[in-house]
Amino acid sequence: MSSATTARSTEVTVELHVNGRVYPARLDSTTTLLDALRDDLHLTGTKKGCDQGACGACTVLRDGKRIVSCLTLAAQCDGSEITTIEGLAEDGVPHPVQDAFVKHDAMQCGYCTAGQVMSAVSLLGEDEDRRATDDDIREFMSGNLCRCAAYPNIVAAIREVAGE
Amino acid sequence: MTATLNKENIIGQPIDRVDARRKVSGAAPYPSDFDLPGQVYAALISSTVAAGRITRIDRSAAEAAPGVLAVLTYDNAPTLADPPTNALGSTMRRPLKDDRILHYGQHIGIVVATTRAQALAAAELVEVDYAVEEPVLDMDDPRARVEDNPFGMETSRGDVVAALADADVTVDSTYTIGAETNSPLGLFTTVASWQGGRLVVHDTTQAPSFMRKALAVMFGVPEESVRLLIPFLGGGFGAGLRLWSHTVLTALAARVLDRPVKLVLSRPQMFTSVGHRAASRQRIRLGARSDGRLVAIDHDALAANGIGDNLPSPIVAGTPSAYACDNLATHERRVHLNIPYTGFMRAPGAIEEHFALESALDELAGRLGVDPVDVRLRNYADVHPESGKPWSSKALRECIEVGAEQFGWSSRDPAPRSTHDGDWLVGQGMAAATFEFYALDCDVRLTIDRGGNAILRSAATDIGTGTYTITAQLVAELLGIEVERVRVEIGDTDQPQAPQSGGSGLAGALAAAVQDAAGALTERLARLDGRPGESFASLLDRHGLDELSANGHSDLAAAAEDSDVAPAGAFGAAYVEVGVDEDLGLVRVRRLVSVIDGGRVFNRKTARSQAIGGAVMGIGAALLEEAAYDPNDGRVANGTFGDYLVPVNADVPDIDVTFVGEPDTFNPTGSKGLGEIGIVCIPPAIGNAVFHATGRRVRDLPITLDKML
Repeated sequence: MSSATTARSTEVTVELHVNGRVYPARLDSTTTLLDALRDDLHLTGTKKGCDQGACGACTVLRDGKRIVSCLTLAAQCDGSEITTIEGLAEDGVPHPVQDAFVKHDAMQCGYCTAGQVMSAVSLLGEDEDRRATDDDIREFMSGNLCRCAAYPNIVAAIREVAGE
Repeated sequence: MTATLNKENIIGQPIDRVDARRKVSGAAPYPSDFDLPGQVYAALISSTVAAGRITRIDRSAAEAAPGVLAVLTYDNAPTLADPPTNALGSTMRRPLKDDRILHYGQHIGIVVATTRAQALAAAELVEVDYAVEEPVLDMDDPRARVEDNPFGMETSRGDVVAALADADVTVDSTYTIGAETNSPLGLFTTVASWQGGRLVVHDTTQAPSFMRKALAVMFGVPEESVRLLIPFLGGGFGAGLRLWSHTVLTALAARVLDRPVKLVLSRPQMFTSVGHRAASRQRIRLGARSDGRLVAIDHDALAANGIGDNLPSPIVAGTPSAYACDNLATHERRVHLNIPYTGFMRAPGAIEEHFALESALDELAGRLGVDPVDVRLRNYADVHPESGKPWSSKALRECIEVGAEQFGWSSRDPAPRSTHDGDWLVGQGMAAATFEFYALDCDVRLTIDRGGNAILRSAATDIGTGTYTITAQLVAELLGIEVERVRVEIGDTDQPQAPQSGGSGLAGALAAAVQDAAGALTERLARLDGRPGESFASLLDRHGLDELSANGHSDLAAAAEDSDVAPAGAFGAAYVEVGVDEDLGLVRVRRLVSVIDGGRVFNRKTARSQAIGGAVMGIGAALLEEAAYDPNDGRVANGTFGDYLVPVNADVPDIDVTFVGEPDTFNPTGSKGLGEIGIVCIPPAIGNAVFHATGRRVRDLPITLDKML
């Protein structure tokens, strides 16, 4: 658990609901959701790529919508339902987006993959016109950087799931 | 017994990446995901000036801050040995050597505390005074030290001066490229611990065997007393090929404290701590006859270097083997600047070379009134132009012709500014590429266990290229078992040494070693007198054996020295269509066709991903990416992902990838490596397309909108 770093820091008590489990936590009030997930809950599938909200590697779902967890304080999520990459499979059955990413090789190094998958899952919950064309999918997914550039394969994977 | 790849039942098949399930479920462990019992956290203290000396460091406030365990700076840290030179060049100056500052962001100390937040807060409390000197940041600064022919690789054949004077048509152009950063998504991380006198490091590296040697020398311990672990990398693109100071400092802090220490670089630190593609300026002079035959190539390259650095990354090394031309000269220079250390970035040197040479050929084609495709074909090097030996394989002609066909090049109107689509000017360009052969020696150990499963061990890395997958396919094919029965254990220097993931050389070297091991293991198995159709499990069980192993080795570089053929690297051609909105200065890539001869392709799915990844990084190099240095203090002014633009999904059109050619005849497995060929054609093809669209030749990368207005 994080502890106070300066005289101004304060600790807060937070109840984090992550992947259907409840984690009571006492955290420094400045702790981001990303750091809480990784350091305190040991859910390391969510990645830190920039800590500035510019790369999307830390994307998770809050109440079904994607957020960048590096720009979200853990304390803001008290009582929200958070879903991370570790919580996508149901009873050991992978989410269709995960299957499609495997099939279409929508990854290389894999570091951004959790964030890409969470954004893609979020897109499936959006209005259909946000994924009507490949260009719509590209636009929606452009907050998730992939330096290996699996982009066309990511679009193909999402297109397949969105079309079903 | 030799094992040969005469079948392609498994090899070549586009099977799913064997580590894909772990990657899509968040279960693949990257260096930053490792935490050790008793671990404490480090933060770096970085120079805020580019040149000068430290006159005072006051650690007292930091040392008194909550949770702080150590503050190490040049004046209180234990002294390390200088790093050794290896095939990737020496590591730069060892960290904390003295009070000198050579670049902005130089690591001048490390703070360790109980929590990460405490370490970061304390690092801000270290007071540093400098005697600031005016940094040398401009290549043309008369104070800058310039090295001529730093790699001893300049070449000359024929009489280029006379040939240029006699040529019917000449081109004399200068091309510049801005500094570019590798910027992998994974933040480089070191988790170091000393376990009973042994240094164990989880580190973001593409070259664990080299890093083990270097760390052993610096810390004065036997090589066996250092272990590097890197199962998953988080991207590198060459950034993980040098031993960087943050790794050394973290290992040093762990030794001082005798506790595990973890350091994760911040994104801004990634721009100054793990290298970049150096800014460069090249002058190319071409001479040709009126029929399009080249008679002269003179290629001069100048690139930036960190002060005192010696990164072995020549630009003009590939020029002599690109085209048939009797008169040729190359010149290479490095200028030492107060910039963060440079490094290798995907196709180092080859990107620069091809942007200059393939753009100049396009200019030549325009002056001759000859199609750019025909210029390449008329100067096709049927044999290696330097050695005169036949190529071990070369399907560049097929790359060019198949690409032209798939792109629909024949319907292109050669006149610039001839095609419009609404407000957009549309242009089409192409380029070809010849990638140099490269390999280092490689060792593996292959084991069959009593369950009939195979385990392949080597200190290689999978940086996202698919090493795990193609190695499993190779073993399965060579031993005649299912891929699911193969376990690949790499990313650990306790395994046999392997070359780096770099230079497009790993797949070929590793595959040849795997094939060697499979031959030896097959021979050992044959001596056990198996019954027809008997499984390995039954065979071992019947002989009371728990396992059977064999070592494999390859040294393709040594074999190349007395080869009758010229070992070839990969070849490629790219065709690109761009749209240019002249009112806004916007350039968009609309279509991209990439055709590659990579010899035998081990997995068509992961290979295609490599080609796509290269193409997209090429789009970034051509249109978006440049690290901007503040001319006053050498600071990287755009060192975040908000400011340094890399391609996003919306920047990338559908990319058409085709593989052509045959298995290579020099490499025993037929492979030529695919990691870099996909990028090298892209910047010149885009530049040529922009010229075709607009009639404007931009010789300065990236082609940002300010250069189009």
